[in-house]
Amino acid sequence: MDMLLTEDQLSLAETVRDYLAGTHGPEILRRLDADGNRDPAIWQGLVDMGLTGLLVPEAHGGLGMGLVDAALLATECGRACLAEPLVDTAFVGVPWLLAQGKTEQLADIAAGRVTLPLPHAINPWVADGEGAPLQSVDPLRNLFASANDNADPYLLDLGALMSAAQLVGLADAMLHQAVEYGKIRTQFGQPIGAFQAIKHQLASCAVAIEFAKPVVWQAAQALQDERASAAVHVSHAKVAATDAAMLTAETAIQVHGAMGYTYEVDLHFWMKRCWALAGAWGTRAFHLKRVDEAVLGGTLPIGPEHTFA
Amino acid sequence: MHLAYTPEQQAFRAEVRAWMETHVPKEPLVTLECREGYDQHVEWERTLASGNWGMVTWPEAYGGRGLDLIEWLIFEEEYFRAGGPNRANQNGIFLLGPTIMEFGTEEQKKRFLTPMAKGEVIWAQAWSEPGAGSDMAAISSKAVRDGDHYVITGQKTWSSRAAFADWGFGMFRTDPESKRHKGLTFILFDLNTPGITRRPIRQLHGDTGFAELFFDEVRVPVENCLAGEGEGWNVAMATAGFERGLMLRSPGRFQATAKRLVELYRKHEAEASPAAREAVLQAWMAAQAYAYNTYAVAAKIMAGGKIGAEASLNKIFWSELDRAMHRTAMQLLGAQAELKRFDDGSVNQWLEGYIFSLSGPIYAGSNEVQRNITAERLLGLPRVGAG
Ligand SMILES: Cc1cc2nc3c(=O)[nH]c(=O)nc-3n(C[C@H](O)[C@H](O)[C@H](O)COP(=O)(O)OP(=O)(O)OC[C@H]3O[C@@H](n4cnc5c(N)ncnc54)[C@H](O)[C@@H]3O)c2cc1C
Repeated sequence: MDMLLTEDQLSLAETVRDYLAGTHGPEILRRLDADGNRDPAIWQGLVDMGLTGLLVPEAHGGLGMGLVDAALLATECGRACLAEPLVDTAFVGVPWLLAQGKTEQLADIAAGRVTLPLPHAINPWVADGEGAPLQSVDPLRNLFASANDNADPYLLDLGALMSAAQLVGLADAMLHQAVEYGKIRTQFGQPIGAFQAIKHQLASCAVAIEFAKPVVWQAAQALQDERASAAVHVSHAKVAATDAAMLTAETAIQVHGAMGYTYEVDLHFWMKRCWALAGAWGTRAFHLKRVDEAVLGGTLPIGPEHTFA
Repeated sequence: MHLAYTPEQQAFRAEVRAWMETHVPKEPLVTLECREGYDQHVEWERTLASGNWGMVTWPEAYGGRGLDLIEWLIFEEEYFRAGGPNRANQNGIFLLGPTIMEFGTEEQKKRFLTPMAKGEVIWAQAWSEPGAGSDMAAISSKAVRDGDHYVITGQKTWSSRAAFADWGFGMFRTDPESKRHKGLTFILFDLNTPGITRRPIRQLHGDTGFAELFFDEVRVPVENCLAGEGEGWNVAMATAGFERGLMLRSPGRFQATAKRLVELYRKHEAEASPAAREAVLQAWMAAQAYAYNTYAVAAKIMAGGKIGAEASLNKIFWSELDRAMHRTAMQLLGAQAELKRFDDGSVNQWLEGYIFSLSGPIYAGSNEVQRNITAERLLGLPRVGAG
């Protein structure tokens, strides 16, 4: 029993964090927003880091890593509000293909030549796919109408897990932006971040985020280990991450005052991604129902001795 | 990350479970907050010690079993699974013990830890004063050096179990010229030393949960000082870290409450609101989240890491979770919630638990203070009043 994130995992996440912080800052989001949403150069950078091949087995030219590693990196993608479809293709699509024994496309995916649109019955759209375009509130999401009857439960779990992982990264980033703003904006002769009303709201966000993260990691490991209860843990992760991110989004805009209500301030990119992912791959109600069936329905053993049931 | 127990860990769990099943009292003990209940709980501490379960993580030389934090978590899970009573010595074993382990001399470890683990000496924490609650640096009780003794004069308050306990650990001002955090010293004292008067305080439920302590020229040997004179603040911060961080409230406690809440909900499902249903699910989710986080923190500590100001996040989370769970139970109980005993004669544990849960956000440093610490030390926001 060891719930430790290894040095390797943490340093990989840090490398990706630093890379995205250096190459995918708010000015890039603005440029993409103004001009086409996707940029082959950004995609190539991700490919060069090996991220498209993260979950592709080594035999197919990838790094052969696991879902916990992918979840940690999906969190970094959320933090950077990454627009390219890396999470969908590489962290959701690849394990789904692998589960079906489909390996033909893996080498191309790892090499960045192919992206995978992932239509699913749970979503009324498909992201980065084809068809009649739909407009998302998130200017950097490319959505298309999709009536799809693929209801594959594993694909849904992967999609929900990686959405949850991105949501905690988005939440982290919004908290950071609000904290930084709280340090520089002065009113009544002091930085607003010195007011307890501001501090305490931000501290509550920190609590929610702190206790959502291990739920996401645990769910990733449960799915990786193919635990029978994995779906419940994924749903738990989606609810916890959504709640933490929505709380942080609403708090962050409040802390920014009217500035937060502008297009000018960066916050809205993160907030909109948060709104989008909150409902993607299963609504809060959908996931709460799965927890309900397990916990109140009695299919999952509960109590202190069943922490990792 | 590897989320499966080893065969040794499973065997250990089975061992704890078997012992608890035969030893945990079948009837709940009388509340710890009165003489009768206190005595029952102390007897339970001694029963635990007879099985060598007093404090499993401590070295064998000090009355422990030398186990690691994962085994401690397993122990706690089984303890709460079995419905084990509250620990009369919690402020000793969970707060002072680890502090002595870190700051005590070899002689102090030998002298204090084993009797603590064995439940022979029950400890009370004596930090708060009438003028020093959240603002602990305002402590004014004095300890004046006189040869190889300190002479203590002053007043402490809200000291849990001090009405009945054997020893206390307190913070006193040893440097009369000092201000705030400086000049404080951490001193251990026998509560029966001449000059100490204990005045029990009736808590809102009517029982005696804590006491005021009056010190009138109380002579305490210098060797009872922990770490150096004037080092009190640093020592106390370490103790507070244990209190808010890993030890005082292990996840099993809340997972057990969440499970009981699920059972309560099933009984009242017909008349329960959808909001109560969601609150029950939220209880399970939050208790689980707390458990995962604790396992992650334990793993980090075992790998050589430390807990810092994150302990404040922990304290906020468990205390608000506990209150939310009990509030939900009170809602589910409806018109029965106010009954101290149900019509079958059983004690309304939810009511007792709800009342106690209201103190969680106050003791161990109020949640407002924890939010200040989180904002200033973890998030880096400017201090209160900064210009
Ligand atoms: C059940 C129980 C058991 C206890 N057991 C012990 C014990 O064994 N030993 C011991 O030494 N003490 C004990 N205490 C005391 C406890 O540590 C104090 O109650 C606590 O530190 C708060 O101090 P206070 O009660 O004086 O409240 P105050 O400090 O007067 O606070 C009152 C309110 O003001 C808020 N407040 C104060 N300062 C700030 C600030 N800077 N920013 C924002 N809000 C602020 C508080 O959060 C609180 O809401 C116990 C308390 C309880 C309820």
